[in-house]
Amino acid sequence: MRTVRKFRSIAAAAVAALAVIVSASAATAAEPPLDSPAARTEVAISSVDLDGPAISTVKVTVKNAGPQRMRSLKVSFAGPVGWAVQPAVTSVPGTFGAGATAAAEFRIQVPEKRDGFTLRTFTATAAYTGGDGAGTATATRTQTAGDPFPDLAAAYNNVGITDEGDTEPGDYDGEGNSFSAQKLAAAGLEPGGRVEALGAELTWPDVAAGTKDNVSGAGQAITLSGKGGKLVLLGSGVTSGATGTATVYYTDGTSTRGSFGFPNWSFDPADAHGATLVASTDGRNRQSGYGNQGIAYRVFAHSVPLDATKQVEFVVLPSNRNVHVFDMAIAP
Amino acid sequence: MPEIPAVSRRLLLGGALATGAVAVGAGTARAHPADPGAALPAPTPRRGNGQKSMIGVPYEAHETVRVGVIGIGNRGSGMGEGWSAVPGCRVTAVCDIRENRAKALADRLVALGKPRPAEYGGSADAYAKMLRRDDIDLVYIATPWEFHYQQGKDALLAGKHVVVELPVATELDELWDLVDTSERTRRHLMLAENCSYGRNELAMLKMAHEGLFGDVTNGHGGYLHDLRELLFSDTYYTDSWRRLWHTRSTASFYAMHGLAPIAAAMDINRGDRMTVLRATATEPKGLADYRERFIDRSHPSWKETYVNGDLVTCLIDTARGRVIRAEHDVSSPRPYSRINSLAGSRGIFEDYAGTSSTGGRVYVEPDHSGHSWRDFDSYRKEFDHWLWKKIGDDAANNGGHGGMDYVLQWRIVQSMRAGLVPDIDVYDSASWCAPVPLSVKSLAAGGRPVAVPDFTRGSWVNLRMGLDSRESSMPPVA
Repeated sequence: MRTVRKFRSIAAAAVAALAVIVSASAATAAEPPLDSPAARTEVAISSVDLDGPAISTVKVTVKNAGPQRMRSLKVSFAGPVGWAVQPAVTSVPGTFGAGATAAAEFRIQVPEKRDGFTLRTFTATAAYTGGDGAGTATATRTQTAGDPFPDLAAAYNNVGITDEGDTEPGDYDGEGNSFSAQKLAAAGLEPGGRVEALGAELTWPDVAAGTKDNVSGAGQAITLSGKGGKLVLLGSGVTSGATGTATVYYTDGTSTRGSFGFPNWSFDPADAHGATLVASTDGRNRQSGYGNQGIAYRVFAHSVPLDATKQVEFVVLPSNRNVHVFDMAIAP
Repeated sequence: MPEIPAVSRRLLLGGALATGAVAVGAGTARAHPADPGAALPAPTPRRGNGQKSMIGVPYEAHETVRVGVIGIGNRGSGMGEGWSAVPGCRVTAVCDIRENRAKALADRLVALGKPRPAEYGGSADAYAKMLRRDDIDLVYIATPWEFHYQQGKDALLAGKHVVVELPVATELDELWDLVDTSERTRRHLMLAENCSYGRNELAMLKMAHEGLFGDVTNGHGGYLHDLRELLFSDTYYTDSWRRLWHTRSTASFYAMHGLAPIAAAMDINRGDRMTVLRATATEPKGLADYRERFIDRSHPSWKETYVNGDLVTCLIDTARGRVIRAEHDVSSPRPYSRINSLAGSRGIFEDYAGTSSTGGRVYVEPDHSGHSWRDFDSYRKEFDHWLWKKIGDDAANNGGHGGMDYVLQWRIVQSMRAGLVPDIDVYDSASWCAPVPLSVKSLAAGGRPVAVPDFTRGSWVNLRMGLDSRESSMPPVA
């Protein structure tokens, strides 16, 4: 199991030495002003036992790294959607001096472990008065189990390209339609061919027409190695709202998130969601054969920023089936 | 005819309560449904001195679970054989007011190579004699509904664990008394809710816990079974006991088959609880219409007037803002369904729909889009409960109702032999059966919301394990 931890206060994370748990004290001395440049409140979430089905106990610690005593502390905790937590929020009695740490315990219902790669994110938020004066601080903890797909091709789950002579396998849009392999080739997109977009060198799926050739977004984790300034995704959308967040995990355990979207493969403006047109084909393959001549069906590129100082380990695609990805690559 | 106890006036339609409360209820049905304070109250009696909760209390471990069966009609007969088929379980005594039925089951068990159980019968209190035996660990009750409460209570008082067919009782004070008696005697009483162990239902539960439906917001279950032919049969329900309930009560008698799986998926009594119930009922047309078309005028049913609505619907709010719709209809022409629908912020499951081999269909984001249902098959395979993986084949060979009877019995015996905490306890049983009296109360008040008692006395807030259990083995049989 890998563990990715992320500490974040409203202002910025600042890791300080651990403080011992300090019981509440009623003593209040003269307090320093809030404009101190000292560290911010730190929230940490203990490891969550994911060996379900079980009720696991989670400890959330809140360190008052601010100059004032922390008061009226309420800690909330949440796991993945649908996972019951008891309590959802709890008040921590007492006040906590500078450097003191308070703790709250929660119980969470953990389901049976699923096969394959899973990524579980837990969030804790502290709301308080005093302390660093920010009022709230949040921590997230992400735990993974299993392995991401070794590459995008291993995650292909949709047939988006068919031969005009055999269109039935296609179902790019959920209605049985697909790109024409012949028309894509005419537009320069051939199996295994290079595609340059937004500074990245991508590869058009090197598979036969009528076979799975793209990933319809469902939160799949895909292994990807390298460093760069942005992650470029090649694809297009179906129906509407083909947008989402790509989360990039680095080898140091941190992550960054970036939003992107693709226009509908046919009817949206080519620059919708900030995408860039890569190729446009004439018509599409329907279950009954090639048709819709005169209407453009298109492929786009879009990107999300990366932390260029870090080595990418894997990418989690959006949980949005309307987003179809043919390839992704790191660009400088 | 055997004696059938007088049904409480609180269950009767047409009594003073019903007449008066309709007027009281008029104009008040718009009270905020989620506000228990606006509902007709359901006070919580004080827990008796020295009486403690049975939540989390394991069975004492048994080398062999010895079962006494009370009631050997259609249900008890099959389940009696079912108990004997479970490894490490033996039926040691059988009882029916009709002695010949006890003998017939004993004969069948012998024919199956099992030890002959002791036989009791011949009188309404024969079961009490059976309860005095010291070679019974578990009493299984499958008599007509009106006997369940007293027999269940007597079995607890005799120091036995108890499994009772639906419903465990039909009155609120009876349900409370069973809770209290279980707590006092330190013996478990549970509803024999076989549908809680249905394969689709358990997969639905595990999907809910995984979060596939997002935050679960609503569920829909019930018991929709065209029983008209059976209800008018002169042999199927002894002395027509079940049809007679339709002449004297407006209750949602038997919605637990669909309610219980939804309650499990919502962790009722394990982090959430049912707070308010409102009931509606359609006119009772079905049985009279069936009688008109198919029943000879000389049949005793022609002296009867049916008062139980064909479709009784209970809308139940929970403390966490969810809504459950529980339906009961056994008197209309329709295919069978327990509905089993669960929905949340990210998807929905529906049973008894679609064309998949599992009988279910599903739509969950992000797996699905395009507004079209998908087959449940792959999800049931992934979220198949360990009980079905482990004993599904045995269940198919030994149990009725698609095998879930056997899974229920196997799990109870396993829990007792291994000293585990039961998946279903007296609090679940009381909660799931509470809509029986509460639907009467609400209907009598013109559909007014009525508070649902908290049988856990506050412990519902605590997360705890239930039907979504961890895999464990049946102890080896010596």
